Amino acid sequence: MSAVIHPRPNPIVAALYTLRDMDVEVSVIHGPPGCGFMAARMLELAGMRVVTSGMSEKDLVFGGMKPLVETLKTVKERFNPKTVAVVGTCSSMIIGDDVPAAIRAADIGCNVFHVDCHACMGDNTRGAVKALEAGRDAGIISSEEAHRQKQLLQAATKMERAVGLTSREYLPPAQGPTKLAVCMRIARCLREGKKVAVVMLAKKELAYRFADVLLAVDEARRELGGSTFMVANLDPERGLPRIRGYAKEISEDLVDRGFRIDKVVGGLDEYAVIGEEMRVAVEGFGPDLLILAGIPHAYPGMSREDILITDQPRQLSNYLSSGYSHAVGEISSHSMVMNVHKIVSTETGDTLREIAKG
Amino acid sequence: MNCGCGSSAAVQNDGIRRVAFYGKGGIGKSTTASNVSAALADLGVRVMQVGCDPKADSTILLAGGRKSKTILEFIDEDCRDLDTMTTEGYGGVICAECGGPRPGTGCAGRGIIVAFEILDELGAIQKYRPDVIVYDVLGDVVCGGFAMPIRNGYAKDVFIVTSGESMSIFAAKNIALAVGDMKQMGYASLSGIIQNSKGVESEDLLVDKVAEDIGTDVIARIPHSRVVRECESEGVTVVQGRPDSVQAACYRNLALDILARTEGTAGHMRQGRQEEMQWEKEE
Repeated sequence: MSAVIHPRPNPIVAALYTLRDMDVEVSVIHGPPGCGFMAARMLELAGMRVVTSGMSEKDLVFGGMKPLVETLKTVKERFNPKTVAVVGTCSSMIIGDDVPAAIRAADIGCNVFHVDCHACMGDNTRGAVKALEAGRDAGIISSEEAHRQKQLLQAATKMERAVGLTSREYLPPAQGPTKLAVCMRIARCLREGKKVAVVMLAKKELAYRFADVLLAVDEARRELGGSTFMVANLDPERGLPRIRGYAKEISEDLVDRGFRIDKVVGGLDEYAVIGEEMRVAVEGFGPDLLILAGIPHAYPGMSREDILITDQPRQLSNYLSSGYSHAVGEISSHSMVMNVHKIVSTETGDTLREIAKG
Repeated sequence: MNCGCGSSAAVQNDGIRRVAFYGKGGIGKSTTASNVSAALADLGVRVMQVGCDPKADSTILLAGGRKSKTILEFIDEDCRDLDTMTTEGYGGVICAECGGPRPGTGCAGRGIIVAFEILDELGAIQKYRPDVIVYDVLGDVVCGGFAMPIRNGYAKDVFIVTSGESMSIFAAKNIALAVGDMKQMGYASLSGIIQNSKGVESEDLLVDKVAEDIGTDVIARIPHSRVVRECESEGVTVVQGRPDSVQAACYRNLALDILARTEGTAGHMRQGRQEEMQWEKEE
């Protein structure tokens, strides 16, 4: 395969999300005002303040220390945070701005640390690792957790190269078919009294959306019959505090709605390493139909008969063009889950509900 | 057309000679460039010398020992005026300095690119109508920014200044490599080596050897002379301060050679300018 040419997740943005996961209060993007614009908006919704040093052409030539120091002082005045991370970008790192020196010069009297990253580092996970290491050195997370996270990220990177977003030279974003055909298939299966397994292998906050598939299939079973087996990576004892919080909230919401997960395997940051354990559990059940929601390709032995539900438009086109014709997309899920505390309904779930009530 | 020396200049043949001096730091590029500019000015040629070094010291000798304002000092100004960014030096030479960041900060290479953009935006070439533009570029072609003077039709003829010292020769070869790549892309080409002698043993032979290695000629051998230092401490070029010296004659001859060697790439001088200028080489 020659080089991958579709744009893909960015190390700077991965660093920002990781800082959010570590509950850092303010992230300062040290770079041009537009760098990280879309991600910043989402992360603000999730409760982290994201600001920029807004480097100009002048700063590119003369160095960006001054705007960074000024931005840090403004951050102190406006937000008075306990933790602040300064995230590098291509422009500031290429010209070699001395971020630690600027942090010392600003001297704002709280825990301020530098994430030395930029967008040409390679895989987006490199940015996440840089953020974890910086967070560890700043005393935000333990060495053990940083180590654990790094291994998970390495596994995720390997998986994406093998079967995911970086496995093909070019993947156009796809909208995919409507959810009607796959939902009719699920409904038919249940109506015939067959066995349906649902595996939710979700990444972090996206579980707020994919958990709806569990609920919808359960509701459909009550209406139509058949039997179900539900597996989800909702272990609230795994991962960073924020991520554990997601798992706890979602689990509680499921219980409130009278739903019970048959088997919990792994936490919300472990999607890349728990597929095999889930597969063993599912094989024990021996389903007639398997639904994979979240990151379907994290499930070993994903088959062309399975129903795949992803939130990624390019991943969807990867599935469809590889012959996984029962793949559908819950596109734009990410923007719907950035500041929620309850499960958010999916198009697939709602379509299935309509058919079941039919 | 908004610019006289930018990308659109690559295809035009407006009679302007576009010359760049490269060479190891401290080898005497600015001294050579300034003396050539002064000699050309004495001949009635309109010259613009653009210093491409954050130190902004290329045109000091032309400007009577004073440091001029730099173009990049005006990077954030809404109203930029060419006349405040340039200095009129000896013989009417238009002196411009790109300027740049303090040592150890920012990006000097980006600075060169931006300074050139500013000159283009303000129409420096249209305003000053120089016959010859001399770009005096710092040291080596260390990155894309420092290749800017020999890209996009800015300078068409590159002259490398070197002595017989080995470090200077290394730099010359490196520069020739960059210029070779530029030539492939249709930009500038190497038009000769200027030997700025430092009194190294067998210096002429050493420099001849480099010229041969990189496939060009030694177009001038400037002797090592204390006159250069004397004039520098007086803040003037040799051409201005010691016009009757042998050294000044060398610079005048070099100026003529450069004009002759750039004929092919730039075409004839603009109509009317050719007749105004009368000159002969000195023995």
